[in-house]
Amino acid sequence: MNTSYFPCAGSRAFHAPTRREFVYGMGASLGSVALTSLMAAEAKGPLAPKAQQVPAKAKNCIFLMMEGGPSHIDCFDPKPMLEKLHLKEFTKEGKMKSAMESGKRYYVKSPFKFAQHGQSGAWMSEPWQHLSGVADELCFFRGCQVDSVNHPTAMYQMNCGNRFGGDPAIGSWVTYGLGSVNQDLPGFIVLPEISYPQGGSANWGNGYLPAQFQGTPLRPKGSPILDLRPPQGITPEHQRANLNLLAKLNAKHAEEHPWHDELKARMNNYELAFRMQTQVPETLDLSAEDEKTKSMYGIGNDATDAFGRKCLLARKLVEKGVRFVQLYAGTWDSHDYIERAHGNLIRQVDQPIAALIKDLKQRGLLDDTLIVWCGEFGRTPDNGVRGGTAYGRDHNPKAMTVWFAGGGVKAGHTIGSTDDRGMEAIEEIHHVRDVHVTLLRLLGLDDNKLTFYHAGRFKQLSQFGGQVIEKLIA
Amino acid sequence: MNKKLTPLILLGIATVLPARGQNTDAELLFVRRIAPLFHEKCLACHGNDEAEIKGGLDMRTLASTLKGGDSEKPGFIAGKPEESPLYLASLRTHDDWEPMPPKEADKLYAEQLSWIKDWITAGAPWPDEAKRSVIAKTHAEKWSAEDGMTVKVTGALSPEWANRRYKPEALWGYQTVRKPVLSAQSSVHPIDALLAVKDPAPAADARTFIRRATYDLTGLPPTPEEIAAFESDLLDEADKSDAYRKLIDRLLDSPHYGERMARHWLDVVRYADSSGFANDYERGNAWRYRDYVVRSFNADRPYDQFIKEQIAGDEMAETNREQRTENSELLIATGFLRMGPWELTGMEVAKIARQRFLDDVTNSVGESFLAHSLQCARCHDHKFDPIPTHDYYSMQACFGTTQLAEQPAPFLKAENTAGFEEKKYLEVRRIEHMAMLESLDQKMLANAEAWYAEKKLDRKDWDAAVASARAFIEQGGKMKKGRSFTGIFETARSTMQKKNLPEDQYPPKLVGFEPEDYGNERVARKGLERLKWELERYEPFAFSVYNGRTPQLVSVYQPIRMPQDRMTSGELEQTAILGGGDPFSPTKPVKPGVLSVLGSAEFPDGIEGRRTTLANWIANKDNPLTTRAIVNRLWLWHFGQAIAGNPNNFGSTGKRPTHPELLDWLAATLVEKNWSIKEMHRVIMMSEAYRRSSAIQNSKLSREEAEKSYAVFKPRRLMAEELRDTMLSVTGELNPTLGGIPNRPEINIEVAMQPRQVMGTFASAWVPNAKPEQRHRRSLYALKIRGVRDPFMEVFNEPAPDFSCEARVVSTVTPQVFSLFNGQASYDRALALANRVLKEKPANVITRVFQLTYGRSPTTEEKAICKAHWQQMEQKQANVVIASHKPPLSVKRDAVEENTGEKFSFQEKLPGYAEFVPDLQPADCDARTRALADVCLVLMNSNEFSYLY
Repeated sequence: MNTSYFPCAGSRAFHAPTRREFVYGMGASLGSVALTSLMAAEAKGPLAPKAQQVPAKAKNCIFLMMEGGPSHIDCFDPKPMLEKLHLKEFTKEGKMKSAMESGKRYYVKSPFKFAQHGQSGAWMSEPWQHLSGVADELCFFRGCQVDSVNHPTAMYQMNCGNRFGGDPAIGSWVTYGLGSVNQDLPGFIVLPEISYPQGGSANWGNGYLPAQFQGTPLRPKGSPILDLRPPQGITPEHQRANLNLLAKLNAKHAEEHPWHDELKARMNNYELAFRMQTQVPETLDLSAEDEKTKSMYGIGNDATDAFGRKCLLARKLVEKGVRFVQLYAGTWDSHDYIERAHGNLIRQVDQPIAALIKDLKQRGLLDDTLIVWCGEFGRTPDNGVRGGTAYGRDHNPKAMTVWFAGGGVKAGHTIGSTDDRGMEAIEEIHHVRDVHVTLLRLLGLDDNKLTFYHAGRFKQLSQFGGQVIEKLIA
Repeated sequence: MNKKLTPLILLGIATVLPARGQNTDAELLFVRRIAPLFHEKCLACHGNDEAEIKGGLDMRTLASTLKGGDSEKPGFIAGKPEESPLYLASLRTHDDWEPMPPKEADKLYAEQLSWIKDWITAGAPWPDEAKRSVIAKTHAEKWSAEDGMTVKVTGALSPEWANRRYKPEALWGYQTVRKPVLSAQSSVHPIDALLAVKDPAPAADARTFIRRATYDLTGLPPTPEEIAAFESDLLDEADKSDAYRKLIDRLLDSPHYGERMARHWLDVVRYADSSGFANDYERGNAWRYRDYVVRSFNADRPYDQFIKEQIAGDEMAETNREQRTENSELLIATGFLRMGPWELTGMEVAKIARQRFLDDVTNSVGESFLAHSLQCARCHDHKFDPIPTHDYYSMQACFGTTQLAEQPAPFLKAENTAGFEEKKYLEVRRIEHMAMLESLDQKMLANAEAWYAEKKLDRKDWDAAVASARAFIEQGGKMKKGRSFTGIFETARSTMQKKNLPEDQYPPKLVGFEPEDYGNERVARKGLERLKWELERYEPFAFSVYNGRTPQLVSVYQPIRMPQDRMTSGELEQTAILGGGDPFSPTKPVKPGVLSVLGSAEFPDGIEGRRTTLANWIANKDNPLTTRAIVNRLWLWHFGQAIAGNPNNFGSTGKRPTHPELLDWLAATLVEKNWSIKEMHRVIMMSEAYRRSSAIQNSKLSREEAEKSYAVFKPRRLMAEELRDTMLSVTGELNPTLGGIPNRPEINIEVAMQPRQVMGTFASAWVPNAKPEQRHRRSLYALKIRGVRDPFMEVFNEPAPDFSCEARVVSTVTPQVFSLFNGQASYDRALALANRVLKEKPANVITRVFQLTYGRSPTTEEKAICKAHWQQMEQKQANVVIASHKPPLSVKRDAVEENTGEKFSFQEKLPGYAEFVPDLQPADCDARTRALADVCLVLMNSNEFSYLY
């Protein structure tokens, strides 16, 4: 049966499904793991699973993108020194100064208390009440640095390796390299906020890779996939009738152009799309989950409902064989009021993320799944005077915390460190490209082998090559 | 004119030194092969940068190589390649040694591996520098003859790079264009003579040909009447060529020709109506550049002039200052230089943003006009092509005094300035934002009083400050024409601040704000800022450049105007080679220059005239890259495959031309025809090759081979824009007006209303134009915002405007079905077509639908099944209830406020929808029409509709 979500031109023979298959067979391919893997074995399209390039534990990735720049200083990297420096003024010098950083500045202490958690003694601020319970599953990395102080360029760099946009996103590279187990769903799914981030959908674009590897956003409101259903009033039966006429006209045209093999792929696509109209909403339906699970994720609770749904859906998607799921939460761009803004934001994601880790673990999926948590940069220990004192922080490309959990990472460790104010990384310093290379390695891909020829050279996620951060790997 | 173009000639080295002493073969091998190989493949990580030697292995000297690296084993063991880490790592198959070089793309070829093996086997001699230099000189001529050419360039970073050898075929692009000599007597078209196709397919039938030609030259389908006329012409004319010629002339004269060519050119230059990045501000007057391109093609502006205007139009205007209006065209043309995404926010370092512009424009000129990507030479001498980084920065120096500004440029008669009255909707928004800020100001003033009461502080000073602020603002204050807002609260507060009072003695900023106040304040304040860019649309300004010193910009939050003191104020940039491409690491200063592989040009010393010199050098008939680049594109636009397969990259990593002689013949012919693009269409389209059928019949060739050899014509799917324009065209809804401010068709409503973060706020919703005729313009004119892509266009492979698109890709993905089969626009077009045909009362309805969509009559069988479907659907449609959709006059936006981290929502008013006239609605049509629309929807989704043969 032809079941690729994104079949490639002329990849497989056309098979007109019988009416019976439409009535009874629709959900089957999504509902059964056995069947899914059976089909995967037969699949030959661009999304067909491919062997890992290097041995690795993780098979899937859930990427938690805290868009806006979460503050390491108020989350996972305590700086007691700032208690002493609080509100002390100074002026920043240097050629790399943007307008944002110029003028008088003052230090800001974290409004949150910190404590160590788990056997590993991981530092977390007070609002992380649930994540602290799974501290020993996490591997914190405090040495990451990026190039840009501006949101969209830093977002592009974190997501696509290149500050200027237009390059393929990590999820696109990963599905390009590994394919995807489930041929009925996209291999790279994005769960954005209702409001798209700065830089827009280019954050999950396929760039120069083939369109099959583009991130597909499942929209939190309205139709999850655009135009998934015809206008209101058009029934599936009505559409089936139109499709039948289409099939007849296309069949006749194909007969006259027997050498033109693209035609078949295009015809198959219409049948697949028709099936997906029913299948996708079924996949996204969380109502079948038991109440205990839902409340574990914080679904139904106002603060945690939205991100809780995303996390639960992410687990379902990974279970169904989707290779790469990226979740957005934000915006963490707290220039003025860290306590209020970060406090609220942490509460919105804390319980859902902890639930996701526990849930994956109890289902035996955590070993196969790499979880990454990060923003596009960290935040400064100080703030600028903009019409009065406000306890917030500016953008900081020189220090941030990225954490990993799941397959292949050195859980229960904190790697690298920042200076006593959290201004810059000072130990185990790595450019974000090394984080990318490491992420690929954890998924069984070698950045230097995962290349695509475009505009005169072989391009790769890290741009020019990078280094695996061995200390992050178990 | 002070310039020289020296297309490549083979360089031999004249001096032959007598051999001094005897050198072993292995020594020669080292000098000739091993040393350059180490330089190219190893030293980047193993010696060039002493501070960062990878794996501890330094390969700069024999001693250090023998010492080995972290493995503590010598780099090689003389005489024993199979035990030498250097060789084993290069093989990439050994278990103990990591493959080297690490990147798969850099791996050594078999021949290179055999050199290493032979050299180690022969004892691995490593002659010293002096001896190497003698050996190199002694054998230069012989090796040169055997190994390919060296190329003379300026300013290479190392002698190894300067002296490296190129296979002549890798340098094809730089070689002089040589027009092949063809038999004068032959009646065979030169293109066909040069293609020399074996076993060609017969000519396509008349209908297929006119469809092909009409889409190629206008991007629109031929009407049934045009098809019939051409069919009869082709039968009647004694000389068939006349019928073809007449058709081609008619199409070239169509104003839609310019629109079609503009679509191609705008793909190359990355046209968009917004700046991208954080703010994605609208580029209000970019549309005038888009229309300049349309006009240029329609007027058949000679291509050399087209180049010069886009690179140096403003300089040309300077020499001709009296003709202000005519000069508008020249200023508009330079919009080309600014087509890349660009902005400068307060969060960015100005110098870095400036460098982004310089890098962007340097590469863009290279790719667009010279088919040469230059960015590879930004950090080092080009890895594959004879482009030293010195050339890159010399080209960049041509733009070192180029500054960005929207320049005054009166509207031309040829420009379409209709529809400016839509400005009123922006005014409504402006007033609304002002009102919001005023009400928040009142709220803060009230909150301030409450604040004083709560703190039990004396408010005498505050009240005085408020009173004086109120008086100041009532007299006009700092507000410029109502385009920005400074409130009483803010003014009073700043008075208090200036008194150096402690912060807790006067109210904090945004005092007493509720979460939604923060949001509303941002939306209004940033909204006013964004309006400044949108209002630029109706102003007689060109998106342009000027020459001068680089002004000290901190941020750009409104359109830029040219400063009065442009020649005296700011930094006079001294372009230099930048270490690692970093603007804070200048090394050697460079002067304006051109690609030294092709000669040199003499540039003026001052601020002005640099780009004119560059443009003249590019648009020179002897520049082999320029002429080949454009004819190669033209060929691609007609045949769906280029002669040189990477139209933006003629360098050695680009695909070699499949028919180099043909490419040269076309390039030479372009110059002979005075750079006339229209003449080139005539030449190309009158060839047999262009007329050929797509059908593979009884051929021994595979389809791919037949297409590649031009034995058949390669079919293609309609481009995204062609698909939409065709649907509008067959329903009769298409408004064929040329040019003007961008229009806003209806796009998927969820995308239109999708909240989108821009810096500090949310971009406004996509509100379509009020009237159908405004919406139903050609896709070329649709407002193109980098952050909001029309999903219909996107799924059908419209390129994103980040990179130059050298050729469209065609992929078949499921979301295309969702868009085309389920989308509201398709339903609207299907209904409009059904309504059109039924209103025309044709003899046979189904026949007319087929003629309009396919350009032919249905077969008896097709007619029967479509008729049956129509009847069947009429019964179904009788029971379908479709509500008319009401345009939303406001939309509720949900978001997370950045100050509070809390959810907040606001109502965005959509004044543009107030006078919205919807397209024909199902509720306005009877079941019979709606049922015929089902047939139309199917036809518009069918393969025959989408493919061109």
